[in-house]
Amino acid sequence: MKVSRVLLGLLLVALFILPMTASAQPAEISVFFHSGRGSERDALDTIITNFNDSQSDYVAVATELPEGSYTDAVNAAALSGDLPCLLDFDGPTLYSFAWRGYLLPIDSYVSDDLKADILPSIIDQGSYNDHLYSLGVFDSGLALWANREMLEAAGVRIPTGLDDVWTLDEFDAALAALKEANPDNFILDLKMNYGEGEWFTYGFAPILQSFGGDLIDRSTYESAEGVLNGEAAVAAMTWLQGLFDKGYATSTPPDDNEFINGNAALSWVGHWEYNRYATELGDNLVLISMPDFGQGAATGMGSWNWGITNQCESPDGAWALLDFMLEPEQMTIMTDANGAVPSRISVLDADERYAEGGPLNIFVQQLQNGVAVPRPQTPAYPVITSEFAKMISEISSGADVQTALDNAVDAIDADISANDGYPSM
Amino acid sequence: MTLNLRTSSAQRNERMAAYLFLLPAALLLIVFSLIPFLSALRLSFTNQPLVPQLLPDGTQRSADFIGFDNYSDLLRVQLVTLEPELGDDGQPQRDDNGDLVYPRARTILRGSDQYEGMSELTQFDLFGTRYLVAASDPTWWRSLFNVFTFVIIVVPVQTSFALALAMLVNQKIRASNFFRTVYFAPVVTSMAIVSVIWFFLYNPDQGFINNFLSIFRIGPFQWLDHPASAMLSIILMSIWQGVGFQMIIFLAGLQEIPENLYEASALDGANAVQQFRFVTLPSLRNTTIFVAISTTILAFKLFVQVDVMTFGRGGPEDATITPILHLVNEGFRGSQRVGYASAIAVVFLLLVLAISLVQRRVLTQKEA
Repeated sequence: MKVSRVLLGLLLVALFILPMTASAQPAEISVFFHSGRGSERDALDTIITNFNDSQSDYVAVATELPEGSYTDAVNAAALSGDLPCLLDFDGPTLYSFAWRGYLLPIDSYVSDDLKADILPSIIDQGSYNDHLYSLGVFDSGLALWANREMLEAAGVRIPTGLDDVWTLDEFDAALAALKEANPDNFILDLKMNYGEGEWFTYGFAPILQSFGGDLIDRSTYESAEGVLNGEAAVAAMTWLQGLFDKGYATSTPPDDNEFINGNAALSWVGHWEYNRYATELGDNLVLISMPDFGQGAATGMGSWNWGITNQCESPDGAWALLDFMLEPEQMTIMTDANGAVPSRISVLDADERYAEGGPLNIFVQQLQNGVAVPRPQTPAYPVITSEFAKMISEISSGADVQTALDNAVDAIDADISANDGYPSM
Repeated sequence: MTLNLRTSSAQRNERMAAYLFLLPAALLLIVFSLIPFLSALRLSFTNQPLVPQLLPDGTQRSADFIGFDNYSDLLRVQLVTLEPELGDDGQPQRDDNGDLVYPRARTILRGSDQYEGMSELTQFDLFGTRYLVAASDPTWWRSLFNVFTFVIIVVPVQTSFALALAMLVNQKIRASNFFRTVYFAPVVTSMAIVSVIWFFLYNPDQGFINNFLSIFRIGPFQWLDHPASAMLSIILMSIWQGVGFQMIIFLAGLQEIPENLYEASALDGANAVQQFRFVTLPSLRNTTIFVAISTTILAFKLFVQVDVMTFGRGGPEDATITPILHLVNEGFRGSQRVGYASAIAVVFLLLVLAISLVQRRVLTQKEA
């Protein structure tokens, strides 16, 4: 918090001083960027430098803010009228920012050609209230990483694509067989060591959706009643709780390495583990599409994406920069650095990892074929995700599923009604 | 005449000096206590969010005055009589243990508009009838229950423990300064750091405490991970952290007791227990009142250790939620309803104020 205050102070100073010094020809495009991993930061610096070298109309100036308090910093900047031209935000934060009136719709800037080349999941994520507000340079992928040898040793069939994914019964049988072959191990790595946070919603809401439940009633976005605590949701979360009860998974893993050290045969995690897993397991690593728990397979999607604020003096310049970031060469600078799924289909096709037959092609198939479900497009999302994550924590340590889900529903509905249903303006 | 004038001007000067001396403290109190409280009082009648919506012209949407809505959302409680479920034969259903089967509380509460926004707080049986207590904010009542539990255990235990420690380190033995420092060390350590360390000590699988107890074949305990033991874990750790402070105050009190009282009582044939009962305790009365009241107020403010050790949740299952943590969660996390959080602050302040006044009255009456 203190660090962010200091940064905010520096930023305010920067915002006042820089326009004076840069009052010459090129217009300044200020940028907020969350400081994630070092490689991502370096990639953004490179892209900004490339942009500034490539033309003389605009000068982009990026300010990095710590990720932990990023949303607070943006809210504070918005209230004091100091929003930058362009800023990034984690997927579903968009709807809260758009509802609060920080963002400019960018429909008019996005050409049909560009739109057709962007992953449909990115367009879904960027849309709120019939407008497109944001585009991302990359998307994320969630599927099951498997240890081929361990699966074969236990006699488990390995699905190869979206058409032959495991059914619920098959997945249960596979887990039982793996447990029998490795009775002392937690054979399913659920990354519970990430702790209660966005991972729980991103990683486990797909179970809910594949069982036929959801985080909220998406036809109205006014209530989670009956959806998050209905029969399907209870079945889904009871199944998840069973994974812990049966000893397949643990809610307190010793570290992050259960999969690479050969204890776990399956790792339920996103694209970001690819490099590490591939190095450790080599040909033994196989990526399996999400199982179908009854109502069609579902998986997570979405990542950090970019929007233009309505406090921006030259939105054209902000778009020029965003458009530049989306150019294939610049996009690959970023996705090579963070290993995420590039958001343009043309870039994906040219990348042998994502192209058909490539080791990561499953992610593309999931994103293009509607398996990936966007997180709820509502300003209530921050409360939804925090309540859902709390519920996951509770049931993983043995709480009653129906009660935990009812409590989450009550908290979500209370937030929505306290905000009069989040009416747009 | 001249003399008279001089005195009155001297008096005036003195009064001026008094006000000048008062000014810095008064100013600080007004700016940092009175104004924030009055502003919280005003906010508690509004639906002020932490981050208001921006209107298209860049101004902030102003909050609406909603009267006492926040207070009724916080305090509304309703008693509902539950009827047992009837079987197909029209007779009350019984489960395998022969107990009556009641409908789920949520089914009843969601079935009628009069219970809108209310959730189950608890159920109890009285004279063969099952009652359901529904509240619009069950977490608030739970947090009050938790903090009262904390206060009722911590205040007497910590006060007696502090007195015992003070008497120990008051002995004229070598290295007593060493022990004083050891007992006082947790007090000067930041509570956030102490909490992080105890969080690891309490870890059920790898924590030091369970490993140590396993030597004596005790446990393992779930500590912070189980609703039944979570508050107890917080209490143990809080006493350990806070006891040194009260010990120092008792120590100062002990050293004020004149030695000749002990000598005289010894001559009268009083043994050590009688000396403690009739010399030490009465001489420490004022110290004890101070320690008890300050410990009570500090205990009601329970926040940091719960916030750190339960990741701000007050879990598991609200077992360690406290009013202050609930206030912070409502106002600055999750829904970020500053208006509602202000109402919590006002109600909680009145509650603690009332308790301190009663406590002061009771403790000082003993003297008369």
